[in-house]
Amino acid sequence: MNIFCPNRSKGGVTPSLQIQGLLLLLLSIGMSFGASAQDTENLILISAGTFTMGSDTRATDEKPMHKVYLNAYYISKYEVTNAEYYEFWEQQLKTASSGQTPQHTPENFTHLPQIGDWPARAKQFPNHPVVGVSWHDANAYATWKGMRLPTEAEWEKAARGYTNRTWPWGNALEPYANTAAKDDGYENRLAPVGSFPKGKSYYGVMDMAGNVWEWTADWYSDVYYWYSSQAATKRPKQNPTGPTVGSWRVIRGGSWMDAIARCSTTFRFYLYPNLKTSFVGFRLAKTVF
Amino acid sequence: MKKLTIVIILWLCLPLSGITGEKSGDHSTYVQHVEQAFILMFQGDNLKAISEFEAALAIEPDHPEILHYLGMAYAEETFWNKAVESCQRSLVLMPENIEALYSLGVVYFRLDQWADAAGTLQRVIGLSPQHARGYEMLGKSLVKLRRYAEAVPILKKALTLTPRAAGLYHELGTAHLNLKAYPEAIENFKQAIEYGPTGYAEPHYGLGTAYFRLGDREKSRTEMQIYQRLQKQFAEYERLTRLTRAEPNNLEAWTELATLLMNQKNFAKAVQVFQRCIELAPNNANFYHGLSRAFMNLNYPKHASEAARKAVQLMPNQAILYNTLGSTYAMQGESQKAISAFQKAVELDSEEPYYHLNLSRLYQGMGNQKLAQEHYRVYEYLLSKQK
Repeated sequence: MNIFCPNRSKGGVTPSLQIQGLLLLLLSIGMSFGASAQDTENLILISAGTFTMGSDTRATDEKPMHKVYLNAYYISKYEVTNAEYYEFWEQQLKTASSGQTPQHTPENFTHLPQIGDWPARAKQFPNHPVVGVSWHDANAYATWKGMRLPTEAEWEKAARGYTNRTWPWGNALEPYANTAAKDDGYENRLAPVGSFPKGKSYYGVMDMAGNVWEWTADWYSDVYYWYSSQAATKRPKQNPTGPTVGSWRVIRGGSWMDAIARCSTTFRFYLYPNLKTSFVGFRLAKTVF
Repeated sequence: MKKLTIVIILWLCLPLSGITGEKSGDHSTYVQHVEQAFILMFQGDNLKAISEFEAALAIEPDHPEILHYLGMAYAEETFWNKAVESCQRSLVLMPENIEALYSLGVVYFRLDQWADAAGTLQRVIGLSPQHARGYEMLGKSLVKLRRYAEAVPILKKALTLTPRAAGLYHELGTAHLNLKAYPEAIENFKQAIEYGPTGYAEPHYGLGTAYFRLGDREKSRTEMQIYQRLQKQFAEYERLTRLTRAEPNNLEAWTELATLLMNQKNFAKAVQVFQRCIELAPNNANFYHGLSRAFMNLNYPKHASEAARKAVQLMPNQAILYNTLGSTYAMQGESQKAISAFQKAVELDSEEPYYHLNLSRLYQGMGNQKLAQEHYRVYEYLLSKQK
């Protein structure tokens, strides 16, 4: 997949790099699954480096604040939308036995007409983040796209940047996210992805606070940061991937039904991976080779 | 024969398809109840969440995750037996669910069924060898069972996973005390006091006992006196906590709790309590003032400033509010704003020595010795008058 890199200069490319680029492009065509131009533009490169994870002053499971080193990775600029997920679902529908519901069908929310039933809502609200998907659904979609779910550390770095922001946009309490607050313009409903451009993170990632909680790859442990920080006493923990076992997967970012405090860049929450709710969606990540 | 078999299968399938059709509608209701339950749980309304989970499970009973959430909600409301039942039902469907096992272990512990708790928690750490809470509760269960020698390594393991956990040091101290390992017990209790919240009484009792058994009567008496004093404060804290839980709109109780927490220097909790007071009485400047002072003590000058500004807006003729506002500015290095605020405090109440002292210190820091000395003289004069 040819991935858009916002920091890369377009001019002045040396011939050898051009050849490398061509080879990469050819390779990527072979490897991709018909990725559209939009796909390529919706990934943001997060450069390699150390960032500060956790907080010493907030919830217990956010303690302690510690340094983490991450290799460079890509993260999707937006949460995966209904329209994007529909492509995946339609593909499954084609291969499913007659009359069978595809395995990764999102949950219906008949009682919430502002979210609606699947697949009708894919047409009605194509740019809303997909919800009603389990961790397994999200993971299957990511695999289908040749990507993966972000680790918890990757998610936090993309939301928080280098400057330890409390919210993706900074430290001031602003209505730059779709939360339970009444003044954000989306009371009791989802917002189309990217509706809060002022709420983007340091890296330009959108909707990292509010709208929908986002599945991450990691199992949840309330003391994982202690473990991670102990390893980090001599040097930053490198590319942590969470505990090896667990019952719950970590979700991050808060949602349309949460108070802004739960939408901070460090707030951790968890859910059983089988559950499909109206407040959890996901975004994608990809390792840079 | 083959055809007959197909006909029988089709005939058997007919009522099944009917059920599936019905279930689809029921499933929507199930989803609605589950979603509602989550919202209520997030809002802390566990009783209503229980009703919603039960309604969901009446439609689709075999969801181990939902059964576990129901168990957790029951446990939050101290319906221990119901919590056991829900967790057990969940575990029948998902036997190796670490968190449901952990919840069950905790509930057994609360029911004083320590042997059951220990057995269940052993399974937790067997499945998840880094499960800190599992080790902690197992250690506590073993202490309750008086299996002190077994408890020590379990609690030590828990401490490697959650260092500085005061409660764990206290349990470890108790285990060592009962094993007659007094120096270790003293060390553990001291660490419990060091890492514990202000007013943590129990380790002082343990420390007093350990000193007593070592024959140090003086130190023992001192620790026991501290214990008794803290116990009284703790009883008051418990009373107010219970009262505010039972009567969440009782502003008087919240105010008393905030004052107690400030006196105990438990500023983090005081922040939460002042915020609750503000929810109940949004135009009361005193609560913003308290919130500001709590934030200052936690070294959050920006938040403290914001609260102090609000307090000043609500009560613009109170000198002390300007003094607090000035202090928050001074903490942020905004000297000019701080001077303006302190001057306003002096303007409103020129007889309070400490406002002059603040101005003096600020001028001193800015290198203006003349004004610094002037205000210091006024401070000394007013102080002597007060005496």
